[in-house]
Amino acid sequence: MTIVVGFTPTAAGRAALLAAAEEATRRQMPVVVVNSSRGDALSDPGFAQPADLDWVRSTLTDAGVSFTVRQEVRGREASEEVLDVLNESNARLCVIGIRQRSAVGKMLLGSNAFRILMGAPCPVLAIKAHADG
Amino acid sequence: MTETATAPAPARDRDYAEYGLCGFLALTGLVILLDAARLSNNTTGVDPLGPKPVPLLVGGALVVLAVALAVAVARGSRGEAEAGEDIDLHSRADYKTVLLLIGVFIANILLIDLLGWVISGGLLFYGSAIVLGSRHFVRDLVIAAALSLGTFYGFAIGLGVALPAGILQGIL
Amino acid sequence: MDNLELLLQGFATAATPVNLLLALIGVIVGTAVGVLPGIGPAMTVALLLPILGELEPTSALIMLAGIFYGGMYGGSTTSILLNTPGESSSVVTAIEGNMMARAGRASQALATAALGSFIAGTIGTSLLVLCAPLVTRFAISLGAPEYFAIMLLAFVAVTAVLGASRLRGFISLMLGLTIGLVGLDSVSGQARLTFGIPQLSDGIDVVVVAVGIFALGEALWVAAHLRRRVADVIPVGRPWMGKQDFKRSWKPWLRGTAYGFPFGAVPAGGAEIPTFLSYITEKRLTKHPDEFGKGAIEGVAGPEAANNASAAGTMVPMLSLGLPTNATAAVMLAALVSYGIQPGPLLLQREGELVWALIASLFIGNTLLLILNLPLAPVWAKLLRIPRPYLYAGILFFASMGAYAVNGSSFDLILLLVMGVLGFVMRRFGLPVLPLIIAVILGPRIELQGRRALQLSSGELKGLFGSVNVSTGQFQLSPIAVTVYLIILIVLVWPLLFALIRKALPVKAQEALEVVHEERVHPQHADDVSVEPPADPEAREKSRQ
Repeated sequence: MTIVVGFTPTAAGRAALLAAAEEATRRQMPVVVVNSSRGDALSDPGFAQPADLDWVRSTLTDAGVSFTVRQEVRGREASEEVLDVLNESNARLCVIGIRQRSAVGKMLLGSNAFRILMGAPCPVLAIKAHADG
Repeated sequence: MTETATAPAPARDRDYAEYGLCGFLALTGLVILLDAARLSNNTTGVDPLGPKPVPLLVGGALVVLAVALAVAVARGSRGEAEAGEDIDLHSRADYKTVLLLIGVFIANILLIDLLGWVISGGLLFYGSAIVLGSRHFVRDLVIAAALSLGTFYGFAIGLGVALPAGILQGIL
Repeated sequence: MDNLELLLQGFATAATPVNLLLALIGVIVGTAVGVLPGIGPAMTVALLLPILGELEPTSALIMLAGIFYGGMYGGSTTSILLNTPGESSSVVTAIEGNMMARAGRASQALATAALGSFIAGTIGTSLLVLCAPLVTRFAISLGAPEYFAIMLLAFVAVTAVLGASRLRGFISLMLGLTIGLVGLDSVSGQARLTFGIPQLSDGIDVVVVAVGIFALGEALWVAAHLRRRVADVIPVGRPWMGKQDFKRSWKPWLRGTAYGFPFGAVPAGGAEIPTFLSYITEKRLTKHPDEFGKGAIEGVAGPEAANNASAAGTMVPMLSLGLPTNATAAVMLAALVSYGIQPGPLLLQREGELVWALIASLFIGNTLLLILNLPLAPVWAKLLRIPRPYLYAGILFFASMGAYAVNGSSFDLILLLVMGVLGFVMRRFGLPVLPLIIAVILGPRIELQGRRALQLSSGELKGLFGSVNVSTGQFQLSPIAVTVYLIILIVLVWPLLFALIRKALPVKAQEALEVVHEERVHPQHADDVSVEPPADPEAREKSRQ
């Protein structure tokens, strides 16, 4: 039984991680942090750099939560990677971050978020980034 | 800190494909020699050498080099496959992608005069992007169309570069 | 000095709005291309060749030169921000530059690279102004035998000095000569290697060869080995540097220039060796040795200056003798040929306006690069978000467009494909590409010169070594030709000499030589310099799948 969090080095991603840490403490479950990139471009803002991963680890350690970090670069969409982990690791909860969208954008979720919502075998907690980032 | 030299591409004791290269080189050399043999070497005062010697030299050299390479390969010489930023030599070569790309390219060759650059070139870009792994099917189509229209208007009509209009002749 | 006058005239031509715009475009495209992985200035120049046919030769060359210089700048930006050298000549910059960036000093690294490049480029181009006419004056005194000898030296130097295997270099050279043979023989008019195909009687266009081998070949090769890799990009603001940094940089800038220019001017000298030498020198001379390996600014200043000075140096043999010393210069010469302009010693005389405008434009381009790169560095980093499928699909797209446009014929596309496959095969088997391109461009010329030399001596072989003195009617050995042949011999037996010399040297010098020799033989080890970020071993392993 685990909590899976889809992490990106963005305000939404960080908010999701903090929420996941809170849930993990409450439910006494380990956390699996998933970050990925298709690897198509040399620069991908969604890809967690070592400094970002360090922040993840220290945050989770401070919260007293046990965790694993999984980072994949193999040409698959982020939603695919997260769904895979959800199915593999008997997840009880999936936490993802969603970002603020424009008035029109509010009508549509990001495609990754949407696919995770639709495909997850467990409840999904969607966290919006704080207004102050 | 800096890594020490990474291992070069997976080392095989003998790269049998290299013998294929030797064969190709020797064959090319022979073709050149044969083609040169049928030249008539009319040397004149103005041209004491004639058109024959250089092809003979090149053809002969290729045959000799092919043999030399075969010997070198037999002794363990290995061509270092070219590395680069986007190159990952540690995994198997993906020939399927290459052949698909060549296929898309040939399609363009066949279609370009008929359908014109805008359609054919656009298909070339679209096909290549998909073959190379892009999965944004709609977005790629839009980009392909923009590129082919843009280059056609910009270069063919704007600069006078020779690009065929094909089927769309008169519409553009 | 009437060189100065000519240069000023050149500025007048280069400063027209059209040419300034083209210089700007060239510089921007060049930097972008230097930043992007997988595409280099040589490929870009090759891709643009067919389109440039519509422009004036002067304007076209101005843009191409801009691309050349710009490529150097772009390459250093990625080296510093990404630890992924954009160009093989920026490999050394990555060592200290990326360390500086990780320590939060990316702005300073970029600033020193930009300023150093500017200064080196300006000094280098000034030296070019001095040297090119001198070399040309010397070159005009050359006759067919001497010229033949020098071109032969260029062949041999490029083939035998670069790369790990001379055998493969020679194979590459022969393949290039083969391609150059196709078509009607210029002197006798007979068809060679055309196999009865009429479209081949004009030969295979250099543009098609260049685009096929560089662009299409590269794209196919990458397609077979596409690496999925996301680099660690260090965000950066505007480049700037403080007084301390400046004080530590200015001498390395000058030393780097001194290293770079001569190496660039010599056939097969290249940019890798001088950058490396500069790094070693700065490491020896620095007052802050402990910083080396952790981000010493001298380690960026020197090599970057060497890099750009080498690019300027490349222009000397290219403009004065018509000899290309690297791939981009080779393709630029191909551009000249496609305009019907004969490169060679007479270039300065016949097309003086073009050459001086080009040189003036190099100064302008250099300045533009400095102005552009200081504020725009963060923007270039964003370019790296373009997914590789688009990049390579784009290469295929522009390659096809260009090849078709050369003659308005789809037959050239077939040739392009053949060349592309050849380029792929060459990369697979480690056959170096540069000798082939040089052979395609120089081969026909060298054959012509050889035949002409023999014609002057009525067919006797000694015609290659000297000529008949017009006034005395006696045959005279040409000292230049003989010297050049001797140099060729030395180059050919160099490995043996090298081994002998090495044994005679003291140990320290031997080690240094080893290192330089290694760098010489394996200049493209971008992988090796790449510093893998200290991620946790798990994630690292997973991302290596």
